[in-house]
Amino acid sequence: MNMPSMKTSLRSRVLVLTAALAFILPIAQGTVDEAHDYAMEAATPFVEQGYTVREDYWNGEVVSGQKLAIKHQLFKGNEYAFWLGTANPDCELELAILDVKGQPVHMERKAAKQTVSVRVNPPKTGTYTVVFSVKSKTERGVTWALAYGYR
Amino acid sequence: MKNIFVFNWMPLLCGVFATGLAFGQGSSAGVEKFEGGKFPGFVVDEVVVPVPSEIFAVLDKLGSPNWKDELRKVKLPETSDRIELSLVFGDVVAEGFVAVQAQDKQTVEDIGRDVINLAASLGLTKAVRPHAQSILDAVKKNDWKGVRKELDQTQTTVRASMQEMRDDDLSQCVSFAGWLRGTASVTSVISKAFTEDRAELMNQPMLVEHFTKSIAGMSPSARKHPSVAAIAKGLLKIHQDMESKDGNISQDKVNSIKATCEELLTLINKPEPKKGK
Repeated sequence: MNMPSMKTSLRSRVLVLTAALAFILPIAQGTVDEAHDYAMEAATPFVEQGYTVREDYWNGEVVSGQKLAIKHQLFKGNEYAFWLGTANPDCELELAILDVKGQPVHMERKAAKQTVSVRVNPPKTGTYTVVFSVKSKTERGVTWALAYGYR
Repeated sequence: MKNIFVFNWMPLLCGVFATGLAFGQGSSAGVEKFEGGKFPGFVVDEVVVPVPSEIFAVLDKLGSPNWKDELRKVKLPETSDRIELSLVFGDVVAEGFVAVQAQDKQTVEDIGRDVINLAASLGLTKAVRPHAQSILDAVKKNDWKGVRKELDQTQTTVRASMQEMRDDDLSQCVSFAGWLRGTASVTSVISKAFTEDRAELMNQPMLVEHFTKSIAGMSPSARKHPSVAAIAKGLLKIHQDMESKDGNISQDKVNSIKATCEELLTLINKPEPKKGK
C-alpha cells in the first residue's frame, strides 16, 4: 500500500490538525512543544559529550502507534544522535535509522520516561530514513517531537 | 531562549489529500530506494537542511582545510526586493559558518552586523537582534560553538518568522541560498585536496530534489523571479552532477558543482537588473 506524503503550508496543516482532533481524536495530553522539551531532555547527556543540537526539528500529533518515516541526509564521518519525545505519559516509543536498503544502522538505543534516543555512525554519506512511532496505552492521539544532533 | 521551526504534521488525514498530492511530487531514481510503498505508515515530507558546519566538521576530520581561504566578503544589496534580501540573508548566515570555521573574529563581527541590517530590511529586527547580539557576545569570548548555535538559531528564527507572516517562499530562499554558499565552500575545499572520501560528501541528491520541489511549490511571481529561476536551473545541473551509480563523485563533477554554486552566488549577490528598469 502506497502511503504518499502530504505537502501543505504550515498554516493549513495547523487548521487541519485542529479540526481533525476535535472530531476524531480525544485531545492528546500535553503539547508538541512539551514533546520537544522531552526530546531536549534526552539530548542533554549527548550535549555534554560534545554533540551539537540542531535548532530545526520535526513534530506533530498522530494516531497512537502509527509509524512515521522521515528522510534525512547524513554525512559519513559525523556521529549523529536522534531524540524522540512525547508529552503523553505511558507510551511505548520506537525509533530506528534505516539505510537505503531498509537495514537498521543505528546503535546504542536508550529509552527513558517519554523519550528514546539512538546514535548513528553513518557508513556512507546519503539519504537515510528515520522510522518511529509513539504508542499510548490510554489515548488514541499522541504528540511527538524528533530532534537530532551531530559531532 | 527557545526558537523553533515547527513542522506540524497530521498524517491522520493524509489519505484524504494524498492521492492528488502524490502525483505532483514525483520520485527520483537513486534517492527513493527506501521502499516507502511498502512502509506501513506515513512518510513525513519535511526536510531539515543541514547547516554548513555539519559538513565542515567532516572535512576537518579528513584534513586541515584552510578555511580563511574560503572566506569572502558579501556585499549587501541596495534593494527592497524581499526575495533578493532573503537569498542574501541565507548567504550571509552560511558565510558566518565559514568564518567560525576559520575562527575569524572580525569577519564574524561583520556578519553579525550584516545580519542585523538585513533583518531590518526584511522587517525582522525584533526577532533577529537578540541572536545577532549573542553572536557578537559569543565571538568576543572565543565561544565558537556558541556562535555556531546562534547562527543556526538566527536562520531558524528568520525562517519561522517568515512562515508566520505567510512568506514561505522567502523562507525557502534563505534555506537554499545558505545551502549553496555552504556547498560552494565544501566543493572548494574538496577541489583543493581531492579524495573520494571528501567527494562523497556531495552525495546529497535528496536535498537538491527538496529545493527543486520547494521552488516548484512557490507562488508564480516568486518562481519567475530571475534569481529563483536561475537557481532552479542550476539545481538541475547540480543534481545531474550528483548522480552516480556507485556513489562516487568524480573531481570533475565536484568542480562542476562548485562552478554552478559560484555562478548562482554571484547572481544572488549581483542580481540582474529587472526588465523595464
